[in-house]
Order: sequence, then C-alpha cells, then structure tokens
Amino acid sequence: MHPLKPAKAVLKNIRQETADVKTYTVQVDGAFSRELSPGQFNMVGYPGVGEAPISFSSLWEDGCIGHTVRSVGAVTAFIDKLAEGDELLLRGPYGKGWPMDIAKGRDLLLVAGGLGLAPLRPVIREVLQSRDSFGTVSLLCGARNEKNLLFTDEYEAWRKKISLFLTVDEAVTGEPWGHSVGLITGLLDRVKPDTAGTCAFVVGPEIMMRFVCRGLMLRGMQPADIFVSLERRMKCGVAQCGHCQHAGFFVCRDGPVFPYAQVTGLMDGML
Amino acid sequence: MYGNGMTGAPASRISDFLVPKASFFRWLDSLRESFSVVGPVAEEDRTVFREIASADELHMEYASTMLSPGKVYLYSPREDLFRISFGKDLTIEEPPRSPVQRIIAGIHACDTHAVFYLDRTFLGAFRDPLYENRRSNTMLIALNCSAASRNCFCSSMGAGPFLKAEKGYDMLLTDLEDAYLVEIRTERCRVLFNADATQSADAEVFRRKEEKERSALRTFTKTINTDGLDRALRENPEHPVWGRTADERCLSCANCVMVCPTCFCHDVVDELSMDMKTVRRYREWDACQDARFAEVHGGNFRARRTARLRQFVTHKLDQTHQYGVFGTVGCGRCITWCPTGIDLTEMAKAIQTRKA
Ligand SMILES: Cc1cc2nc3c(=O)[nH]c(=O)nc-3n(C[C@H](O)[C@H](O)[C@H](O)COP(=O)(O)OP(=O)(O)OC[C@H]3O[C@@H](n4cnc5c(N)ncnc54)[C@H](O)[C@@H]3O)c2cc1C
Ligand code: SF4
Ligand code: FES
Repeated sequence: MHPLKPAKAVLKNIRQETADVKTYTVQVDGAFSRELSPGQFNMVGYPGVGEAPISFSSLWEDGCIGHTVRSVGAVTAFIDKLAEGDELLLRGPYGKGWPMDIAKGRDLLLVAGGLGLAPLRPVIREVLQSRDSFGTVSLLCGARNEKNLLFTDEYEAWRKKISLFLTVDEAVTGEPWGHSVGLITGLLDRVKPDTAGTCAFVVGPEIMMRFVCRGLMLRGMQPADIFVSLERRMKCGVAQCGHCQHAGFFVCRDGPVFPYAQVTGLMDGML
Repeated sequence: MYGNGMTGAPASRISDFLVPKASFFRWLDSLRESFSVVGPVAEEDRTVFREIASADELHMEYASTMLSPGKVYLYSPREDLFRISFGKDLTIEEPPRSPVQRIIAGIHACDTHAVFYLDRTFLGAFRDPLYENRRSNTMLIALNCSAASRNCFCSSMGAGPFLKAEKGYDMLLTDLEDAYLVEIRTERCRVLFNADATQSADAEVFRRKEEKERSALRTFTKTINTDGLDRALRENPEHPVWGRTADERCLSCANCVMVCPTCFCHDVVDELSMDMKTVRRYREWDACQDARFAEVHGGNFRARRTARLRQFVTHKLDQTHQYGVFGTVGCGRCITWCPTGIDLTEMAKAIQTRKA
C-alpha cells in the first residue's frame, strides 16, 4: 500500500463552530486504521487542491471521525465550501499523540489556545469516559473573543466531570461574560498545579505555548511533565518531504506532540 | 541499517578480481542488453551521469559531477505519485512501476554514502514504493577516488575517498592503472560477472590498493574537524557568522540544496488537467532556502535568510540525532556551485574557533 495514497471519506455532518471554523463528522473508507489516538492527525484534502494536516477533534464515534477546521488557505477554504454528503480524501493517522499513559493516575492540566482545543477534545472525551483513571482534571481555554469559542454546547457536560476555565482576549458581544478577560497565562494561578503529580498538555499558537510553559515552570512544574503540540508546514506526514523539520525532528513523525523538554530552546522555534 | 536489503544477498564467496580495464569495459558493454547502463560521460567542460550507448563514452577519471547519480536516478527531480480521475466515481491510480533494470557505474564513494542516506529517508518507517522499486532494480558499481577535487572533504566525513562500507551496493572498483581491482559485494552481481582475463586478487593487489588510498588522501586540501562539531553548532545559533554570511553573501538561490546528494526535501503538487477531469499529483525537489518553505498560516518559522542558511548548514553538520549520522558526505558541491562561494566548512571553523 502506497503510504501517500488517500482514502475516500464522506462528510456526514457539518457544524458551524464560529464564523470560520466548522466541525466535520466524517465516515471513512473501510481500510482506514482503527487505531487512532488523541493528538494524532490526518492529511486531509481534495485532488487539485492539495492536502493539509488536520488533527482529530474526535476519534471513532458511531463509525465516524471528527475534524475541526479553520478556513485560512487553499485546502481549508475548499473544505469550508463542502456540504453534507460531499466526498473528501484523507490519509493517516500520523504522528505521536498525547501521552495518555503518562497522564493516567495523575492530575491533568489541559491548556488550549484558540483552535488548540480541537486536538485536546479527544483527550477530554477519554477523560470523561474513564474519569476514575485520572486525578484532578482542569481545562484552561482561551479565545480571541466569545465568538471564537469552540464546542460551546459541550461545556456543560465537561463541567460535570472536569474544571473548565475560560478567558477571552477581549469581550466583544456585549452579552454578560461570566469568565475571565485577558491572556490565558492569567488563568494559571486559578489551578495551582500540584507540581509533582501534575502532567500538562498545552496546545495553541507557539508564542502562547511559550508563555504558558514558562508560567508552569515558574509555578514549579518540571519540563518533563509538560507536553506541547507543534505546528509546522507539512506536505507528506511520513517524514520524507522535509517541510516539517524542526532542528532535526520531523514534527509529523516525532511529534506533533513533544515533551516540552525536548523542544525548548531549539533554533527557529519559539519555545 | 542502510541498504535495507535493497541490494539482495551478499556475495556467497570471496569475489575479488584483478581485471584488465579493456576486459572490464567489454563486460559492462555486454550488460547493456539487459540493463540501462548509466555512467560518467564528459560533455563540454563537465562530466554528467547519463545512459551510455557504449562503454567507450565513459570518463571514469572524472572529478565531480554537478548532480549526484544517486539522487537523480533513484530519487528523481520530479515524479508522479498518483493520477486521480473525477467522473462518476473518483479513482486514484498509482503510475505503473518502472520495469527498468539499471546499472550506475562509476559512482564515487561519497555519492554511494549519499544513497545510504537517502535510504534512511525513503526506506525508513514509511517506505516509498517508487524509490524502493528503483533502488532494488539498480546495481551500484562504486569507484574509489584517485584524487580529491578542490572542495572535497569526504575524508573528514568518513565517506571517502575510498569506500569502506561493505554492503548497500554491488561492486567496488579501484583504479590500478591498466586494471581494476573489482570487489564484488552482492550475489546478484557475482552471478552476472563474467569478464574475461580476470585473475583473483592477491595480497599484492590489495597492497597496491592501500598505496592508492594513501596517495589519494594526500590530495585533500579541505578538511573539517567533526569532533564535537554538532554540539558546537547547536550551542552557537546566534554566532555572527550565520547572519553575516546570510546577509552579505547568500542569495537564497537554493543551488546548494539542489546539488546536494543528501537533500531529500520535496513539495507535493496537484496539477489539474485542462478539461478538469484528472489531476496529476506529483512530487518535486524543494529547498529549505526558499523563503516560503517553512511558512504556515500566521507565520513563517524561517522568514529570515539567516535562519534558512543555518537550517541548511546545521542539517549537514549538526542535527545528527535525525539519522545518527552527519547529513553531509563531504562532496563539496554546495561550495562549488554557490554563486558567492559560501563554504560551510569555513562557517564551521569560525564557530569552532570561536572567532566572530
Ligand atoms: C499537526 C497539525 C495539526 C493541525 N490541526 C489542525 C486542525 O485541527 N484544524 C485546523 O483548522 N488546522 C489545523 N492545522 C493547521 C492547518 O494544517 C493549516 O491551517 C493548513 O495546512 C492550511 O492549509 P491551506 O491549504 O488551507 O492553506 P495554505 O493555502 O497552505 O495557506 C496557509 C498559509 O500558508 C501560506 N502559504 C500559502 N501558499 C503557500 C505556498 N505555496 N508555499 C508556502 N506557503 C504558502 C500562506 O501564507 C497561508 O497563510 C494543523 C497543523 C498541523 C501541523
Ligand atoms: S548556493 Fe550559496 S547563495 Fe545560493 S542559497 Fe545556497 S548558500 Fe545561499
Ligand atoms: S510532513 Fe513531510 S517530512 Fe514531515
């Protein structure tokens, strides 16, 4: 089997999350792997348009997988125009996801900036399903403004089992906003990680991850207990095209999730 | 780990011969019936690897070529991955695998090592079927170098001038004036080898080989000290040599990458047919020196020329954790073909000696 050969998939459901983000529930051709883990990604695309790396925002549920996509360029804008029932091509799963094994039995701190909530959603789902396998679980979630929050209709269910803290850079709608305003680093003091027993998964723009990781370290966390998910340009997903290389790592194969200790201070990075 | 079994079984018995050159070339010519034989041919003022119509065309004493035969013939500059047709049902077809059986004759030690390097990329956890097919359908006849060119530093990298690896290729030649020492490495090559007037190579022949190697080693003018090199580069990402060389001299032309025998980066491109009914998805060599290579939505991780030059140089001289080896084989092509003469060995020296 050619490692770059995509499989056919059908869009079963499309949900508008924000003005430029939609969540697609996708039914995939039988040959697609059953073994998916949170934090992994697919190369998603269409012939003539190209392919783009997109994280799983949900793993197998009712025979479908989920992708949450922001329209920013050629491939993502094409996907944005599709309707339910339309066909799409994808291949994967690729990369190393979140180290769920390391998190089990410990407190888990999830920190998501913007679309970073998408690759953490399968982690949240797993926590909700096997709640007893984890200690205290907190999710800190930041967005530009209220209109950019993702998965808002799921928060209530999440709150029943984990602590959820929200912040926006600025509140714009004029509706009462009962949460924080300001950078996500401002939320770190709300959770007071038990430094020895906590494991943190951080994902968002690299500059945000830089400040969150440093903030966690200042509060006593060890770099080895912090995990980040990196974004780089990707053309193959299989450690061959070289586009995603970051100081000798193939982000597509060695990541996208890395222990913070492994990627802090590298050239051409912001961590 | 290199080779990945692509060259088949090792030769079943010792197969080292002293073969008169005329006899060797007669044998090579006879192979053209079943193989496409590619070798170094003098064209105008330079040597290129191309298919030969007769062994008389070969210019085995060549210095260095602009492109390495391994990169061109095993990992081609542009090739189709899929042909996709729309229509009632979308179909994705792989192009037929090339049935060509090829021999690359006269590939230097450095370029043979560069093939081992490409093996790591294309025959790693994910195996590229196009590369794999060509690699196993290609016999490599390596040639030890008699003399270094101006920019060669393979002796510092352990990749030449004489080839020390014992597998991953099929045959090794050492030029002993009127004859070749022929060392056969694979069973598939041993079976094919039937040159006339051969003698088995005795200790005296190997003594001459050693002498040749010593004399080749004396011709090197460029060296690099690999001791602690990767660390020195890693620890000096802000050394002024990066910015100065990039700002004053680098044109981001990507010549260095294109001529590099180990650079494996490529782009994947979709080309829609005029009638919009089919798409050709192909890959083509790409370069980290291109300003948009590391661009993503909302940022570019190597927007600065300094960062791009540093990526190229550190990929060759640092980043050894990627494959456990240096990314350079010391062929010196990036130096030769850089329009402004940027020399990565000089940059490394500036950093190693802590000179600003
Ligand atoms: C591991 C991983 C997981 C990801 N998960 C998600 C996810 O779950 N959801 C999501 O929405 N996004 C995700 N992304 C980001 C997503 O992959 C990018 O937004 C996407 O690749 C953009 O592709 P595009 O074709 O739509 O945009 P492009 O047309 O490629 O444009 C994107 C940017 O690239 C630049 N660009 C355009 N053309 C070129 C060119 N020819 N050469 C170089 N640069 C160019 C432009 O400046 C533009 O800003 C993820 C990325 C990674 C690496
Ligand atoms: S060949 Fe020279 S000028 Fe061109 S990109 Fe490479 S280092 Fe820069
Ligand atoms: S995406 Fe091609 S090497 Fe990682």
